[in-house]
Amino acid sequence: MNTSDTILLVEDDAQIRKFVCIALASEGYAVHEACSAGQAASLAASLRPALLILDLGLPDRDGQHFIQDLRAWSSTPILVLSARSQESDKVKALDAGADDFLTKPFGVSELLARVRALLRRRQQPPLDAAPVIQFGEFRIDCVRRIVTRRGEPVHLTQIEYRLLVFLAANPGRVFTHRQLLLQVWGGHAVDNHQYLRVYVGHLRQKIEANPAQPQHILTEIGVGYRFQP
Amino acid sequence: MPMPTLPYNPYLFVLLVSVAVTLLMLPISDPSFLPNSALLYVLLVVLIGSALGRRPAILAALCSALLYAHVFVPPRFSLAITEGHYLLSAAIMLTVALLVGHLTASLKHTARQMKAQESRTRALYELARKLAATLTREDIERSTAQFLQAEIPNCTLRVLEPDAGDSLVPPLPASLLEALKQRQQTLRTSHGQPGQTRLLVPMLAASGLHGILVCDLPTPQAEAGLDLERLESIASLAAVALERTHFADAAHQSEMRHSTEVLRNSILSALSHDLRTPLTGLIGIAETLCRGRIAPEQQTSLLTTLHTQALHINRQVGNLLDMARLRSGQVELSKAWQPAEEVLGVILQQAQTQWPARSITVTLAADLPPLYYDAVLMERALWNLLENAVKYSPPDQPIEIHVRREASHALLSVCDRGRGLPQGIDIDALCSMFRRGEPESNIPGMGLGLAIARTIARAHAGDILASNRPGGGACFTLRIPLAPADSPPAPSDVLPCAL
Repeated sequence: MNTSDTILLVEDDAQIRKFVCIALASEGYAVHEACSAGQAASLAASLRPALLILDLGLPDRDGQHFIQDLRAWSSTPILVLSARSQESDKVKALDAGADDFLTKPFGVSELLARVRALLRRRQQPPLDAAPVIQFGEFRIDCVRRIVTRRGEPVHLTQIEYRLLVFLAANPGRVFTHRQLLLQVWGGHAVDNHQYLRVYVGHLRQKIEANPAQPQHILTEIGVGYRFQP
Repeated sequence: MPMPTLPYNPYLFVLLVSVAVTLLMLPISDPSFLPNSALLYVLLVVLIGSALGRRPAILAALCSALLYAHVFVPPRFSLAITEGHYLLSAAIMLTVALLVGHLTASLKHTARQMKAQESRTRALYELARKLAATLTREDIERSTAQFLQAEIPNCTLRVLEPDAGDSLVPPLPASLLEALKQRQQTLRTSHGQPGQTRLLVPMLAASGLHGILVCDLPTPQAEAGLDLERLESIASLAAVALERTHFADAAHQSEMRHSTEVLRNSILSALSHDLRTPLTGLIGIAETLCRGRIAPEQQTSLLTTLHTQALHINRQVGNLLDMARLRSGQVELSKAWQPAEEVLGVILQQAQTQWPARSITVTLAADLPPLYYDAVLMERALWNLLENAVKYSPPDQPIEIHVRREASHALLSVCDRGRGLPQGIDIDALCSMFRRGEPESNIPGMGLGLAIARTIARAHAGDILASNRPGGGACFTLRIPLAPADSPPAPSDVLPCAL
C-alpha cells in the first residue's frame, strides 16, 4: 500500500466524518476533512488528494455541480456517499463524473474495499498497454476481437462485444445507463434504456453461468451496471 | 314578445277576411239585419285580435267600420250616412271594435308572456335539479355552460375560479376583479375581441364569490337587451352548487386529516416500541463498553450485538421512510421494460451477503416476456417478501422464488416452509400497516414490509396474494399485469459507426 495516498473527506456530519477518518487512518491513509463544498474546493486544489470522498448532501452546494466544477481541472477519483432514497442524485453525480458511490448507512469494510479499488484503478496502466482482458474463464483478445471461454470461442454480436469490452476494461466501476448507451450506441441512443437492458440480458445469457444470478455483470438497481471480474 | 311568424302578410289577410265576411253578408238585404252585421264585424275583430295581435286587430276594426258604413248602412254602397242614428251606430261599432280588439290582443300577449315565463322558470328549475346532483366543480361548470349556451345563442362562455383572472385572454385586470367582488353585480366590458362585449357575472353564494361567469357575445346582441337578472340568477344557482362541492371537499379533507392523525398515532406507538427497544440495547451496550471493565471476548460479542441492532434499526427506518414516501405520493414511478431477472439478480446478490447460509432457489418460466416496472420499487417489494420468508421460517428450510406467467399477469412468488399463515387472517389484514400475523412475537419488525410491498404492487396495477402451500409453509405472490404490448420494440443491432 502506498502510505502517502492522501484522501480528502467532504462530509458535513461530524459523526460520519469521525468514523470514516478513523477507519481510513487505521489503514494508513492520510485523511483531510472538509465540511462544506467551499472548503473542499480549496483543499482539493492545495492538497491534490489521490481520492475524494464526497457526501452528496452538503449544506452549501449541490454535489452534482461540485463534481462538474472539480472535473474541469482534476481527474481525482470521486467516491460519492448518498442516502438510500436518492437514486436520481447518484445517477446525476455519476454522470457528472463521480467514479463510484456508497449508500448510507455503509459498512467500514465496504468503504475500505471501494477506496482500495479506486486507488488501485488510478495506478493501473491504461488499457492500450494490454490488449487482452481476462476474467473468470473468459479471455478477450481486443486486437483480433475474439472472446473465448476456456479456449472455446463465444459468439457475440457487434454490440454485445462492444458492451462487454467496455465493461470488462473498467472492472469494479459503476456505469450509469446513460454512460453505457453513450459509449456503445452513441449520442442518439442515450434515452433508450431498454436497448441496454435487452443487450445486457443477451450478454448475460452468453457469459453468465446462471443469468438470473449474475457473477460478472451486476445490476446497480436504479443506477446502472458494474462489472466484476 | 315576438309574434309567431306567419307564412303570409297578416294585414293582407285581414283585408281579405274583412272583404270575404262582407261578401258573405251581402245577399242579406233586410235592414233589420243591420245590427247583426255590426256584431259580426266586431266578432271578426275579436278573432283577429286574439289570433294575430293588436295591429291587425286595429286594421280589422277600421276596415270593418268602413265596410259596414259603405256596404250596409243605407244608402247602401255609399259612404254617405244620411241618418243621425246610423252615424252613431257606426261610430259605436268602430269604438267597440277598437276596444275589444285591443283588449283581446293584450290578453293574448299576456298569456303568451306567462307561458314563456313558465317555461323559463321550468328550465331554471331543471338546471337547479341538475346542479344539485353534480359532485364536482367541472360538472357544475359544464352544466351551467350548456344551459347558458342554449339560453343565449352566440355566447362564448367560460367559468373562472375567483382568482383565475389571468387565465383569460386578455387577462382580467385586477381592478375589474376587485370591482366585481365589491359591487357584486354584472359588469360589461369591451375587453376581448373587437366587436364583442364581455359580460362578467359574479357567482355569489352565502360564503362569498365562487367563480366568475364570463360571457363573450357580439356587441349588438349585448346591447339589444339581455335579461341580466336571469343571468345573475343562473350564476347564483351555479354558485350555490359550487359552494356545496366546496364544503363537501372541506369535509372530505377533514376526514382525511383525521385518518392521517390515526395513522400518525399508530406510527408513533410502533416507533416508540420497535425502535426504542433496539435503541435501548444500543445505548446500554455502548455504555458498558465505555466503562471498559469487561473481558475481551465479551467485548467482541457486545460489539457484534451492537452492529446487528444498528442494522436492524436501519432496516426499520428504511421501511418507515419508504412507506412515508410512498404514502405521500411523492414517488414517481420510473417504469421501464426489463426482464424479471434484472431485479431478481440484485435480490439474490443481497440475500447472499445477508444470509449466506440460507438456501434460496429461483425458477424462472421460459416464456416470460420483459416486464414493465420500476426496478428500484420492485426490488423493495420483493425484498420485503423475501425478508418475511426468511424471518418466518426455520433457517434450515429452503426458500423458493418462482416467476411465471398466468394469462395476462406475471406472478413472482416467494415461498417458504414455515408455519404458514395464521388461521382466519386475510391478506388485507396482513397488508395493513403496523399489523403482523402474530401481534406479540419475538420476531423483530413493525409490520410495514407487506404494506410497502402491496403499495408498490398496486402502483404497478398489481397486487399481493397470499396462500398456504400444500405440505406446509406460505407463498406470497406479487402479481403485476403484462402490458398490452407484450414486449418492447426490438432494438437494432446496427452500430452507428464501425468499431
